[in-house]
Amino acid sequence: MNILVCYKLVPDARDIEVKADGTIFLGKAEWNIGQYDLNAVEAGVSLAEQTGGKTIALSIGSSQLINSKARKDILSRGPEELYLVIDDCLEGADTNLTARTIAAVVKKLSDVDLVICGEGSSDLYFQQVGLQVGELLDWPTTNSVTKIEIGDRGLVIERTLEQDVEILDVPLPAVLSVTTDINQPRLPSMKEILRAGKKPVTEWSVSDLTVEGDLENQVEVLSINAPPTVDRKQIMISGSSEEMVGQLISYLSKEGVL
Amino acid sequence: MVINNNIWVFSERLGTLAELIAGANELAKQTHGKVSAVVLGSRENAEQAIEMGADNIFWLGELSESQLVEDYVPTLAKLVKDSTPMCIMIGATKRGKAVAGRLAARLGTSVITDIKAFSIESGEFHGTHMIYGGGAIRIEKAKFGTTIITIGQGFFNPKPLDSTIQGNINEISMVEPEKKISLIERKKKETVSVNLASAKKVVCLGRGVSKEEDLDMFREMARLLGAEIGCTRPLSEGLGWLPRELYIGVSGVFIKPDLYISFGVSGQVQHTVGITASKVVVAIDKDENAAIFPQADYGIVADLYKIAPALIDVLRRRT
Repeated sequence: MNILVCYKLVPDARDIEVKADGTIFLGKAEWNIGQYDLNAVEAGVSLAEQTGGKTIALSIGSSQLINSKARKDILSRGPEELYLVIDDCLEGADTNLTARTIAAVVKKLSDVDLVICGEGSSDLYFQQVGLQVGELLDWPTTNSVTKIEIGDRGLVIERTLEQDVEILDVPLPAVLSVTTDINQPRLPSMKEILRAGKKPVTEWSVSDLTVEGDLENQVEVLSINAPPTVDRKQIMISGSSEEMVGQLISYLSKEGVL
Repeated sequence: MVINNNIWVFSERLGTLAELIAGANELAKQTHGKVSAVVLGSRENAEQAIEMGADNIFWLGELSESQLVEDYVPTLAKLVKDSTPMCIMIGATKRGKAVAGRLAARLGTSVITDIKAFSIESGEFHGTHMIYGGGAIRIEKAKFGTTIITIGQGFFNPKPLDSTIQGNINEISMVEPEKKISLIERKKKETVSVNLASAKKVVCLGRGVSKEEDLDMFREMARLLGAEIGCTRPLSEGLGWLPRELYIGVSGVFIKPDLYISFGVSGQVQHTVGITASKVVVAIDKDENAAIFPQADYGIVADLYKIAPALIDVLRRRT
């Protein structure tokens, strides 16, 4: 079974700068693999180990993907090969353009049996791409997947919703979005880190693919701003534990919230 | 494609549907359009949707035991394509998000997810949602066609049912999906019934709490305070010490208590975005540089294992 695992490079939350006018600056941000994508990678790698299949990693985006540290990072987590689609037109791609590009990669690779995505990107967290990829390919697709097992005619999965748990029969090929509950991503071993540099990486631009439709976002971003801040009193209480608790109680009594 | 002024709503949950219909009515007033609800349920449910305030119902009928709501995605896509409403609002459950995403792919668009505010500007729908874990707010509009949005539970207040409202019910026949996922079994999940969102007092626990056994101490504190327990995402999702329903933040619950008191919460934006509506914020953490302190009214830099027992002692004496 050939399993394609998708990941996104996202800006480190600590490097997101809010400028005086309330706009956001990412110029100094370090870009890392999205936190929730690690569960998708682990799900793919462990399923490939069980089935004797192969895991292939894929990311699409703009110049951030040239970063060789992130390439080694993803390959040290188990995938045997890496495909990257790097193109300026994918900078800030919306979920629709992202999904169309991934679907085009799947068609070009032609032998993918299963695509696995994380539950959402850790920067935007719209939780949409996997579902859209599935629908664009006309493959069975679902989200909130918490277990994947091999069944008689494809996969048997567990899907955990707010109030129900569903056991579903999923014919292959398919696209699944997994939650963080599905596994505990392993840490790369030294051996895997050393092997990572030797694994094949293929770089494409969108002109190497047949992406359906215009290479444009369908949703336009009108503004990005910092959220309004709440002014807090910021009173720091000091003293011994008993004194601090005493002061806190008296402040809270005055506030009328006890 | 000519887009009309009508607002549509869809949710697999009747309660959410009532909220969305109320919201759609507000929006339809501004667009001078009509409100249509797509209803998957009994005839009685379809009639109720009219009493909730929908002008028009697209009634898909009742789901059979072996069917999934998602099996109706092709049907929904055909309906939206044929009628081109200005906007379709979908309840932001996990299932709702799956329906929205698949519908968007079929219509060649994106979804504006988890809307926190919206407006109509020059006849266009502008939706606001959070990005960077709540660190920024982004306003977006769909460039073409019907705007698809998802909205969380509790965003709108439902109107009381009004049996004098008249509306049409259109029975819709299903467009069978070609390839589908089939249901083997459905189990009810064990859920905790809490109403953190409307709690007056919240004791919130973060990674500074070192052992699961220590939760009992905070349960006792919460009991003495008359508070609910809440937590940060890692305590429920990573460690599994507390149920999912209890984590506060951008992908969890947004709270609005009179008193929020945190122990060992560092104050990352993903969490604090969910507490901004609190009246009084108290933070206790041993790291004086923790991001929670500038966002608190009262801060104590100390070992929470010294402060918590002392606070419990005082609360016991007060009762």
